[in-house]
Amino acid sequence: MDDSLLAVKGVSKTFGGVVHALDDISLAARRNEIVGIVGENGAGKSTLMKILVGVYPPDKGELYHKGEKVPFPRDPKEAAKRGISIVYQEKGVIPWLKVYQFLFLGHEDKYVKFSKLQTDKMKKQAADILEELHVKCDAEVFMHELPLSTQKMVEIARAILSVRLESGEDGTTPIIILDEPTGPLNDEERRELFSDLLEMKKNASFFFISHIIPEVREFTDRVHVLRDGKLVANYDFSEEKIEEEDLFRAIVGRESSEYISKVEIKGLASKTVALTAKDLTKKGHYYDITFDLHEGECVGIFGPAGSGKSQIIRTIAGIMSFEKGELVVNGQKLKASELPYVRLKKGIGYFSGETGKELFLNWPILKNISFVNMQKILGKFMPVINFNAERKMAQRIVQLLRIRTPSVNTDCYSLSGGNKQKVSVGKWVERKPDILLLDDPTIGIDVGAREDIYEVLSEMKKSGICMILVSDDPKEYSILCDRIMFVMDGRIQKVLSPDEFRKVVGI
Amino acid sequence: MKRSTGNRLIPAVIVRTLKEQPVIIALIAVFVLFSILFPDRFLSFLNFKTILRQFITLTLFAIGPSIVVVTGSLDLSYVGIWMLGGILVWLCMPVFGLLSIFVILLLGVTTGFVIGVIQTKAKIPSFILTLSLLVTYWGLTALLSGGYPRPVRGYGFITTRLIPYIPTTLLWSIPIIAAAIFIMKCTKIGTYLYAIGSNEEGAQLAGINVDKYKILAFTLSGLFTGIGSMILFQHLGGSTPVELNLNTVVWPLVAIVLGGTPLMGGSGGPQRTILGAFTFCVFYRGVYISPLHPYSVQLLVGLLLIVSIIVSARGLKSVTIT
Repeated sequence: MDDSLLAVKGVSKTFGGVVHALDDISLAARRNEIVGIVGENGAGKSTLMKILVGVYPPDKGELYHKGEKVPFPRDPKEAAKRGISIVYQEKGVIPWLKVYQFLFLGHEDKYVKFSKLQTDKMKKQAADILEELHVKCDAEVFMHELPLSTQKMVEIARAILSVRLESGEDGTTPIIILDEPTGPLNDEERRELFSDLLEMKKNASFFFISHIIPEVREFTDRVHVLRDGKLVANYDFSEEKIEEEDLFRAIVGRESSEYISKVEIKGLASKTVALTAKDLTKKGHYYDITFDLHEGECVGIFGPAGSGKSQIIRTIAGIMSFEKGELVVNGQKLKASELPYVRLKKGIGYFSGETGKELFLNWPILKNISFVNMQKILGKFMPVINFNAERKMAQRIVQLLRIRTPSVNTDCYSLSGGNKQKVSVGKWVERKPDILLLDDPTIGIDVGAREDIYEVLSEMKKSGICMILVSDDPKEYSILCDRIMFVMDGRIQKVLSPDEFRKVVGI
Repeated sequence: MKRSTGNRLIPAVIVRTLKEQPVIIALIAVFVLFSILFPDRFLSFLNFKTILRQFITLTLFAIGPSIVVVTGSLDLSYVGIWMLGGILVWLCMPVFGLLSIFVILLLGVTTGFVIGVIQTKAKIPSFILTLSLLVTYWGLTALLSGGYPRPVRGYGFITTRLIPYIPTTLLWSIPIIAAAIFIMKCTKIGTYLYAIGSNEEGAQLAGINVDKYKILAFTLSGLFTGIGSMILFQHLGGSTPVELNLNTVVWPLVAIVLGGTPLMGGSGGPQRTILGAFTFCVFYRGVYISPLHPYSVQLLVGLLLIVSIIVSARGLKSVTIT
């Protein structure tokens, strides 16, 4: 790779000595090129980029700049000296600064004369660089007055500028890292951003981090796919024709684990409809989502991260609102924005595998289980908690889910991850909502605990409770679901049976 | 269960209690320290009587706000309710006679409810909101009273001594404290309030109407402050102070935090506030009778507040709701 501008070789990084965030990654960027880096959340994209700009030091690996070996930068300023700068996903813009102030933020000391900022000089230079980079905006308006896509462009201009100012010579081609720049933009703004980027390519190279497959395919020259900290695929769009499906499979296709479920919980669906979604739409997230959910059925919403699957389930839970469409539960039409407590009254429970969100870690197990089941343990005449009933309820759940704990009074933070998750599920087992939403129910827990949770979920299904599943693990869909809706770019592409689904994802 | 001999000397229950409530150690330490330093003046009947009097006053003011602190918010309006309530009693006296005292209760509940509604709907920090309200009430009090203390008589019966040596305010405060602890420990409301303080998002996701219970917390706080102010009305002179005293604002806060309710909420509560209030009064009296300069009391109270905030924040993880 002689023509490479920047290359990393064999970069590895672990956190806490256990989690392999990056494992032997080698990749390069040439001059005037947009290199896509894709992968799911947690695949290591951001860690890699943070190493490049000096936020983290790597454990192993080498960095080459224009073919010469150089040490890894220790902070963003040093990275800028080597030509590397980053535009973060969000919160990069300071709304109440004017464009020129924002462009030179952090470099003011270069424009100080007799301890006074030379604002005229800054304004002029700002205008020059904006024109050079084809950013169409005035240097003296406030950042928040600009449309989102222009704000992004100003951020990119700022990154290029900081490279120039730090490296001290205009000859260094800046390498700009764009961390999911299109997140908050709508379709039109995206297109605008990309046409500007193609223009800017003449002056810089880009690492473009994204999980939106179509845009990566359309606008990047090459793409690297990361999965679980490993580089799993490289595609060069100028050499071969790559389909979206290929990219998709590379991104999500996990190595098949040894885990084979003994639990068989499909085929329990009855004919009674419990929930109907009709043309649910929230602009920028999902469009025209239509499906029925029957009693005792589990429907999976599957897609890559960023496809809108989590937004759909969060909408049903009442955490987000929808803009158009209809949501009917047990014959009752739901309002577009209702808080989770209203939805729970109508029979929808939401379970997230993120124990930090779900559990009260400084509480004992029994409180964590009892607090959504208050009605069952309050006295008949006075609204007073029956502590005996509360303990018995918790003990029953602990036994049922095989939670390993010295007693039900143990605080949850001292439990292992799997046991925490079981406590989380346990409260819903006791509550028995009509519809249970599962948002990554077994994230980050071991096989044994998973098996226990699946078993309990199957019991719940048998009793007629229906579920909607969103997960990062394709395997989970094939175990739990009767039907799987394949969602991409916020739209349902296909509805698959578990067998078809297995073929598509290759497990 | 096998335990090392070192642990057998002290029963496990006591070890556990001390671990969870380090304020007990502080209480013992402060008590022993001042007993040794000033055996005559500290260990006197008069001193204990004063400690008890202060303790009751402080507890009645701190018990309501400690419910709010459990949810992770802050309520400083208690002094405002007490001040404005006093002047409203004076204003109502000619019309309603002795029943006027209940205007304080009404004011407390209304204030709490309004704070709760504003705080949850406008989503502004409760500290600033209640502080502004306190200042507003202070101004209103000064305006209505014309700048003079307005003594009201006739409520002496509330604090008439019933049992020798035991202040009647103590008798009154026992059922109030018990009710506060009962609500927090044994009812759905209490459980939900702890839930909100411990993990608001989690409570929301689990289907709790967070806004409703936050409003309820402020209303309860106002209610308890109102009841407390009624009891203390004659006890504290039966008239309205026109000047705002910072001590009356800060001390209940110290009692709450010192007792072990972290300002982030989620644990602690009224039962701890009692301990905190008692410890604070012992500490305060000790410093008061010492030869230190009177102003150093303020200094030490300030430092005590800082230290107890740090300790209670650090202890958050290892502390259960007891």
